[in-house]
Amino acid sequence: MRETTEDAVIEAWNVGFTYRRKRRSTEGGHAAVRDVGLTVRRGETYALLGTNGAGKTTTLEVLEGHRVPTSGRVRVLSGDPADRRRIRPRVGIMLQDSGLAAELSVRESVALAGAISGRRDDVDSVLERVGLAPKSGTRVAQLSGGEKRRVDFAMAIWGTPELIFLDEPTTGLDPTSRAALWAIVAELKAAGTTFLLTTHYLEEAEKGADRIGLMHEGTLRREGTVADLTADGVTTVRFVPPGAVDAIPVAVTGTENGLVVIRTRTPQRDVATLMTWAAANGHELIRFSVSPSGLDDVFASLGAERTTA
Amino acid sequence: MNAIAAAELRMLVRNRTVAGAALLFPMSFGVFLCFSRGAHERGGAVAGVQIILMVAMGTYVTVTTTLASRRQTLYLKRMRGGAVSDRAIIAGLVAPPVGVNLVQLAIVLGVLAYADVPSNPLLLVAAIVIAQAMFAGLALATAGLSASPEHAQYTTAPIFLVATAAAVWFQATGTDHLIAVKRTLPGGALAELVETAWDGGGLSTLPLLLPATLGWTVVGVLAARAFFRWEPRQ
Repeated sequence: MRETTEDAVIEAWNVGFTYRRKRRSTEGGHAAVRDVGLTVRRGETYALLGTNGAGKTTTLEVLEGHRVPTSGRVRVLSGDPADRRRIRPRVGIMLQDSGLAAELSVRESVALAGAISGRRDDVDSVLERVGLAPKSGTRVAQLSGGEKRRVDFAMAIWGTPELIFLDEPTTGLDPTSRAALWAIVAELKAAGTTFLLTTHYLEEAEKGADRIGLMHEGTLRREGTVADLTADGVTTVRFVPPGAVDAIPVAVTGTENGLVVIRTRTPQRDVATLMTWAAANGHELIRFSVSPSGLDDVFASLGAERTTA
Repeated sequence: MNAIAAAELRMLVRNRTVAGAALLFPMSFGVFLCFSRGAHERGGAVAGVQIILMVAMGTYVTVTTTLASRRQTLYLKRMRGGAVSDRAIIAGLVAPPVGVNLVQLAIVLGVLAYADVPSNPLLLVAAIVIAQAMFAGLALATAGLSASPEHAQYTTAPIFLVATAAAVWFQATGTDHLIAVKRTLPGGALAELVETAWDGGGLSTLPLLLPATLGWTVVGVLAARAFFRWEPRQ
């Protein structure tokens, strides 16, 4: 059981969520989230990453107060996340699925979300900020998928809440819009807003998140900064073999597209050995590269893990 | 609640076909009633059938379909992400169709009352309020059992048909046969209540009619609490 952290904005202890089985079905319920514990501190940007069906959205919806956990406990802003009167006015939520009314205009949709948010803001300035001012009078039905996501985002940031949940905020956005969205996130973060988000874009999480939680099969497998998560990873060395592979003086993992691949946990020593060997034998190591372990390697390793619980 | 209701009304009015039908249908119906009713007949029996038919269609079917549609598109889920209570969300979504239905009733009954003023307007208003509460509650419950707006066309049929059939049965046969059955069915006691209010019948039956109609209202509200869902099934 985690201890309460003084500057914690979100605290979850051993949270589980099981979808009930359908009536008359012989199958049991589906445990989408199991024993998740995490803390998000004030002003932090925390990203939940994971494979499809890892339980990210369900976890987020439990933390948002949209779902009551079937086990464990959640506190958001020192209260119950489902408390509409005291907690919700301080929280912005961007759902994964839009839920916008097709018949309303962009302006009307954002104004409606603002009216029920418990916060005050100006519709025009919010639309200007997310780049939707030219689409103000356009019906939601006529928007592209990316524009609808920006409407969702506008609703979430309305009134600059203390805490914002973003569920796959950049899905469907073009690169320019993605960059613009992250710029707004950075501005709000600088002003003290806390973010909890999910994304499939690893590079976004690497750049924008202070800490990352990696989920797989409903559990939080790893958590920390990018440096923490990749600290014990392997480094990959590649080059075109100058002769027989057997002659290479370090352990070769394999070959890939005509390149020798060496995965090592002691890159400095192995690279030095290779350089000395190449110089001594007059070899030129063509297309030589050294790649440090990245989040994608850690992410890929999750897929190979099996649930033991 | 006001913002939700305003948005809902905007969506309703924005569809010109729906808005036109919502006003033209009752107006033409009122004119039809005015001309078809016998010169010496009182309007109670006709008013009873009309009120139940129109509330069943305008409030019950419309609210059921609207809620099923709003749930399917996750609009309800989005509303629940805000700071307003569930009751305020429901009130905001239900108020516009009920409001439009009341305007429709005012037009039709106004035309009818032009030739034959109801004897007990207060009782008539009470009957209409009870009818709206009963059908709104049943609509919430039925919406919980309707996976989609298309599905709602079938799930609303039993209550719609039973209620209107009970009203027509009462209009055709009065209090002569199987009156206990008529009063027990949804719409039966309500039709009798409207006729009593319009034609000025004795109020001695009120202790029987009011519990029967309020009973269905309570059933509607309890069923709504039991069956209403905010999100599509996972």
